[in-house]
Amino acid sequence: MWRTAESPRITVADFFAAGRAALQMDWEANAEAAEGREITEVALNRPGLALAGFLRYYAHRRIQVLGLAEMTYLGSLPIAERMARMLALGHVPAIVMSRGRRLPGYARQAFAQLRVPVMRTHLVTGHFMNAATVLMQNLTSPRMRVAGTMVEINGVGVLLEGEPGIGKSEIALALIKRGHSLVADDTTILTLDSTGVVHGSAVPITREHMEIRGLGIIHVPGLFGVASMREGMRLDLIIRMQKSAAGEENLDRTGLDTQFRNVLGVDVPLIAVPVAAGRDLTNVVEVAALNQRMKQMGHDAARELDDKLKVALARKD
Amino acid sequence: MSPEPAQMKAAGTNALTRDVTVLNRYGIHARPAALLVKTASRFACEILLEKTGVRVNAKSIMGLLTLEGHHGAKLKIHAAGADAAEAIAALAELFENKFFED
Repeated sequence: MWRTAESPRITVADFFAAGRAALQMDWEANAEAAEGREITEVALNRPGLALAGFLRYYAHRRIQVLGLAEMTYLGSLPIAERMARMLALGHVPAIVMSRGRRLPGYARQAFAQLRVPVMRTHLVTGHFMNAATVLMQNLTSPRMRVAGTMVEINGVGVLLEGEPGIGKSEIALALIKRGHSLVADDTTILTLDSTGVVHGSAVPITREHMEIRGLGIIHVPGLFGVASMREGMRLDLIIRMQKSAAGEENLDRTGLDTQFRNVLGVDVPLIAVPVAAGRDLTNVVEVAALNQRMKQMGHDAARELDDKLKVALARKD
Repeated sequence: MSPEPAQMKAAGTNALTRDVTVLNRYGIHARPAALLVKTASRFACEILLEKTGVRVNAKSIMGLLTLEGHHGAKLKIHAAGADAAEAIAALAELFENKFFED
């Protein structure tokens, strides 16, 4: 299921639903216009210059934030002119009033005429701009669904993949019993954040459950406590579990040649691990995660041994 | 690079698709999902279920549950492999019979 990434489109209604609590937002006017109204440019704008009449470089595809400065400026204008200035903002995706300020009558009339949804936030403008930018970037970050179970092992995010029935969930279960945490069972959503890091998370509806063959569906935090779950985790390593017979000749026996898989444009280290009866894969996966952590800290065991060997062999020349 | 897991490996050789609709009242909840997995697992071919562009492996219960296949949802069954035709027929039958629920 490694398909091309999609950057989801978001509507004003999506933005409001996702940010209502965190950004302390409420509807101020024309909420019904928010449904299906796409935010075509994922950023915010303070329309001070546009209100002053300079419309040549006006970012009208963005959500417009009216703060103390904008409202004070409009209040300084003759009453007859205020509504025309608001109307000049045009068909923007939405308006946000900061500091919990209510719309004055002329503005309410203008936005009703434009049919533009208006929200108010209790945050101050600067704080809202920062938080809302991050929220919108998260909502629109490129993402994909992959068939795989994701766990967090001592701070390392590991995606286990392999055919159904190969034992991904069983290994995740064994790791949970050892004190590691589950991120997602069976299906993992990978998203790319604005700093170029890939994160994994579960599909919300099945987040807390796993299916174990022979047992059926289990509730993970109910059995192992809340510490056994993690809502999201950076993806550091992909472990591909494969039946022993298949591709044994392709296995890396030294660890010198790191393989990578391109995920949402980021190269993620990939290890292929053969599955055979009697092999304790939980240990292997756990050590692979620790080894990955060592590598991230600048220690590469395979390379260090190889360098040592080369020095020793050179002396014997 | 290892092969891409849930993409149709045998695509082109014997790959089939059929449209189905979720007819039972409660949609694809745990029991129908288990029935689908049980049926799909009888076949060697690779089988995916698709809803609005999202594809999941029909041999995985949790995968099927994430589809949120409600009553009336339109799905596609994709199967690729030697016994793809039989697999699709068997799964479509489950949909048509409302998973023997209602």
